[in-house]
Amino acid sequence: MKKVLIVDDAAFMRLTIKTVLEHNNFEIVGEAENGRVAFEKYKMLQPDVVTMDITMPEMSGIDALKIIRQYDSNAKIVMISAMGQEMLVREAIVNGAASFIVKPFKEEQIIYTIKKVVGE
Amino acid sequence: MSKNESISEKEVEPVPQFMNEPMLEMYIFETTQMIEQLEQAILISEKGGFYEETSINEIFRFMHTIKGSSAMMLYNDIATLAHSMEDVFYFLREAKPTLVDYSQLSDIVFEGVDFIKVELIKIKNGDSADGDASGLIEKIKEFMTFLKSENPSGQSIESKKPETQQKYYIAPEKKITYDAKNFYKAVVYFEEGCEMESIRAYTIIHNLTELAEELFSIPEVGSGSDSDSELIKENGFKIYVRTNLSYEKIESFLQDTIFLKELKLEEISDEETFLSFKQTEGTNFEENEIKLPQVLENRISKEPINKEQIWKEVGNNAPQSVISVSVDKLDKLMDLVGEMVISEAMVTQNPDLVELELENFTKAARLLHKITSEIQDTVMSIRMVPLSTTFMKMQRIMRDMCKKLEREVELQLIGEETEVDKNIIEHIADPLMHLIRNAVDHGIEENEERIEKGKDRVGTVTLEAKNSGSDVLVIVRDDGKGLDKERILTKAIKAGLVDETTVLTDREIYNLILLPGFSTNENITEFSGRGVGMDVVSKNLQLVGGTILVDSTFGEGTCMTMKIPLTLAIIDGMNVKVGGSCYTIPITAIKQSFRPKAGECFTDPDGNEMIMVRGNCYPIIRLHKYFEVQTVVKEFHEGVLIMVEQDARMICLFADELIGQQQVVVKALPNFIKQTKNIQSLSGCTLLGDGSISLIIDIGGLTQYRTSK
Repeated sequence: MKKVLIVDDAAFMRLTIKTVLEHNNFEIVGEAENGRVAFEKYKMLQPDVVTMDITMPEMSGIDALKIIRQYDSNAKIVMISAMGQEMLVREAIVNGAASFIVKPFKEEQIIYTIKKVVGE
Repeated sequence: MSKNESISEKEVEPVPQFMNEPMLEMYIFETTQMIEQLEQAILISEKGGFYEETSINEIFRFMHTIKGSSAMMLYNDIATLAHSMEDVFYFLREAKPTLVDYSQLSDIVFEGVDFIKVELIKIKNGDSADGDASGLIEKIKEFMTFLKSENPSGQSIESKKPETQQKYYIAPEKKITYDAKNFYKAVVYFEEGCEMESIRAYTIIHNLTELAEELFSIPEVGSGSDSDSELIKENGFKIYVRTNLSYEKIESFLQDTIFLKELKLEEISDEETFLSFKQTEGTNFEENEIKLPQVLENRISKEPINKEQIWKEVGNNAPQSVISVSVDKLDKLMDLVGEMVISEAMVTQNPDLVELELENFTKAARLLHKITSEIQDTVMSIRMVPLSTTFMKMQRIMRDMCKKLEREVELQLIGEETEVDKNIIEHIADPLMHLIRNAVDHGIEENEERIEKGKDRVGTVTLEAKNSGSDVLVIVRDDGKGLDKERILTKAIKAGLVDETTVLTDREIYNLILLPGFSTNENITEFSGRGVGMDVVSKNLQLVGGTILVDSTFGEGTCMTMKIPLTLAIIDGMNVKVGGSCYTIPITAIKQSFRPKAGECFTDPDGNEMIMVRGNCYPIIRLHKYFEVQTVVKEFHEGVLIMVEQDARMICLFADELIGQQQVVVKALPNFIKQTKNIQSLSGCTLLGDGSISLIIDIGGLTQYRTSK
């Protein structure tokens, strides 16, 4: 089972993503509510893939993406974006995000994207 | 040319298929919480007359999250509304406009917040969130347009964004000689509904850069504009590549594209045809040339990130020290602690142990008792919530009222950190709101009238909370006109609530306003005075075992004191025996207990039994008579009198004997009993150490019964 770290400041989104992924045989190894915690947990848990919200307090998803990719250049990070954040997603892609999905997403969309990213 | 494997084409259901109960609960919980924080942020900002950058950021983020979550739950009106407010705060954050009507902004945001609140209540009750926010959204858009026209400098932010991004592109090189000999044309179609097609296309270009020597596309992507996305949706994304790679390599690379629906890849035979595509498809060679994204390393070296420092900072991050637990679990825990308290009593007060010398057992039992009471205290403290959120809500109500009534009133908060059981808090918000509204609407005078009376122009309503024994007092005090005794009395007589001949104390007159069907204000306003008022307040409080006291000085102000028990679940009680039954009296109500001498009690002409204690006369209630229990103890000097007080009314209860003091867990009476027997003066029941059941007496009910008789 592939290990996933979920990063989002909204507990609701974390629960949603977690439920969907667990339902599709992914193992949720951790959750983080901002970029800082995400980086800490990434180092500790070494997940196969990270779902990363963009707008978060303390440290944004973009900054977290940058430092995680600096720490581990193979890190696979899927950005979870809201509508209208095109430029931020673009910045994330430039900085090595593996892919992205746009809220509100459907179950198959997120599963498909993450499976693709981890090469399943 | 090939057709790509596509993601399963499932029918899109109206409700996301993975949504479940806990998710909905979490959605409601989190959104409610954010709405509350948001309100506070706005209130604080409004008081200061200015929105701090941190508040703007915070509000922006809340709106952003609400938008995302609501969209996931398919509550589209909430999502769109939150989106429009997010836009406003995005503008405030980025453009830092100087000319902002903050009061209007607050009004609009509050209106939006109220809309979301109403929808949340609907959702909570299982109704569909069918509110229409379009008018409101329109209003916000208008405000936004106005804001932009007032602050034209802010408009540059739209164009500013892409500009900064352009830096990461290298301009088309003037004259480069290419040596790659393979040319391809690819058309990529994305899955419908995958969103942000232009950025998806950009991702391909970004990844292809390393493999291609020359690369251009139609449309040129990178600005992330919606028109690009539309174009791609309609015609597909066309890519022209010059590369050394084979057809298979390029194909497999493009096949890997996420959300790829269809790929058309063809080889272009020679350079000329390739270049002709440039000219025919694109309008201008130079302009249409895609600017290649620079490699990642360049970007990093431009903006060096100090790894050490960031990692150090990150390392300092303390582990999470607060977790949220569902109230259900806490209720369950509380129940279990209650059971434990009972079982402890069952063990230590076991009838089998009576009159045995058990030194070691007693020691162990004492230790057990110590620990159980500590657990009990801890569990109770977990359930305690400060009143501050409830008080904050009152600030909001106050603000709205003052605006509507065009009256300046200040709300003073004292002791908002006082903590009360979670369940109780929910029950006092409504009564409190009512009291505040009454105070502002009926209590405080118009500003001019106040000046005439020699008072401060601005009225003050004080909201105070403090602990008093096992109760919490919540006091609403205003410095308004006070209650008019005469008017209350006339009104009460007219309404048939009291007899004309009855002589009442001041306090009793004030308490008349708590009776159903009483309202002194002839003018019904939007906020209060519909005839259902204070009696609802008092009923609501009774639900949680609370009471309300009214005090007032005419011309100087009114003071309403709500007395609420800290917690409902476990109380200190005195067990008394009446015949074969056992009753529990809350310790807090007991003033004293004593055995009267024979002949000390007397009977008044109406046949009511009384006793004189220290010069005061107290009515007596025989519990065996009241509850219709058989007992042999019928003479006062054979039993015991317990003097109890509630709402400044004192009575004496007559019981056979005292059994002893004990902590008891309050359990609601089963519905069956409620239906078959008159339980007006019982607030619940409890289990005793020996396994028998004791009924908990509601002193308030008894005192009222006696006074009304």
